Amino acid sequence: MSFDPAILAAFVDGELDDLTARRIEREAEGDPALAAEIARHRALKAKLAAHYAPIAEEPVPERLRALLVPAAETVDTSITARRAAKQARFTPIHWGAIAASLVLGLTLGLRPWAPAASIAEADGAVIAAGPLAEALDTQLASNQPSDAAVRIRLSFQDRDGRFCRSFESASLDGIGCRDNGRWNLERAIRGQAGTDYRQASSSELAAAAAAMMGSDPLDAATERQARDKGWARR
Amino acid sequence: MRFEEELVELLPRLRRFARGLARDASDADDLCQAAIERALKSQGQWQQGTRLDSWMYRITRNLWIDERRATGRRGVHTPIDDAVMQVAGDGAAEVEAGTLRGDVDGAMAHLPDEQREVVMLVLVEGYAYREAADILDVPIGTVTSRLARGRDTLMHLLGEAA
Repeated sequence: MSFDPAILAAFVDGELDDLTARRIEREAEGDPALAAEIARHRALKAKLAAHYAPIAEEPVPERLRALLVPAAETVDTSITARRAAKQARFTPIHWGAIAASLVLGLTLGLRPWAPAASIAEADGAVIAAGPLAEALDTQLASNQPSDAAVRIRLSFQDRDGRFCRSFESASLDGIGCRDNGRWNLERAIRGQAGTDYRQASSSELAAAAAAMMGSDPLDAATERQARDKGWARR
Repeated sequence: MRFEEELVELLPRLRRFARGLARDASDADDLCQAAIERALKSQGQWQQGTRLDSWMYRITRNLWIDERRATGRRGVHTPIDDAVMQVAGDGAAEVEAGTLRGDVDGAMAHLPDEQREVVMLVLVEGYAYREAADILDVPIGTVTSRLARGRDTLMHLLGEAA
């Protein structure tokens, strides 16, 4: 093998100029030992990447986010609050992790309102299913039983005119937006019902909703109207 | 984008880097928290238009080094096998090849700090040698030699046989 180990490492790390890199590639085709050495380096890199990748997929702990994202105290949907919220960025949902748990046939691993799964996957998006979808379809924020398993907090239209609804339940809080007859889960956080985190999670959700709003939240009458028309975009 | 927003976006990656350095999950988040606090305090030192991620990684890494030195002096928190390995230099030689097959955490724990941080930056976080050298404030040749030694040890312990 005519290549220095340092050159090989640099090759695998993408640090070589194109010319040298191509020369090594050509050489490796006719040199099994060289090819094996490259494969060994790549395998190590892949193993490390795979080992650490899930950490970046974990939801960022609230104590860290809270240092950077001011939490709204109450459900404040005033214009000022919406403007302020738009400037803040919310952690995207970690679809990778959620999708992976779906693929594995696991529930979210949270407290159950199982058996019927409340989330499903369609065309690469995570959507509401079962009792959650039903609540989003039918339940009115203005008129819901106090012991409802899923509580609708706010209904509003986002800047694309889609109807969106924020909800809370024992195992999952989030925001679903109506698209192609489905409720896409645009935000999802682990439900915190009955814990000290309830407040934090509630205000986080409210702030996220405020940031998405295209106009004021729906009042009772418009909400009912929208529901009766099947949440079709106006 | 606002400074805080950019930092929030960085957090998932920064937590990964911190986990690689500190190894323990809650120590790693403590490290992130300290880094965020430091960053907010020294915000004025960050030059708009330069890379916030490199700056943040540098802060995190320096805080971790300070912490390691402090605990090292007190002689606590350093597991015995770590200490032995570091005294023994590249250490892994006395461990049979492939002993830690599949145990990435275990293998990483065998690396001296200065190799582990380079491995994290280049092999996990995907930084170029030049960028890693800037973050660590060492010459690029130091990055490549530490990386080579770290790699050899990991391959040996994880049994990445050719």
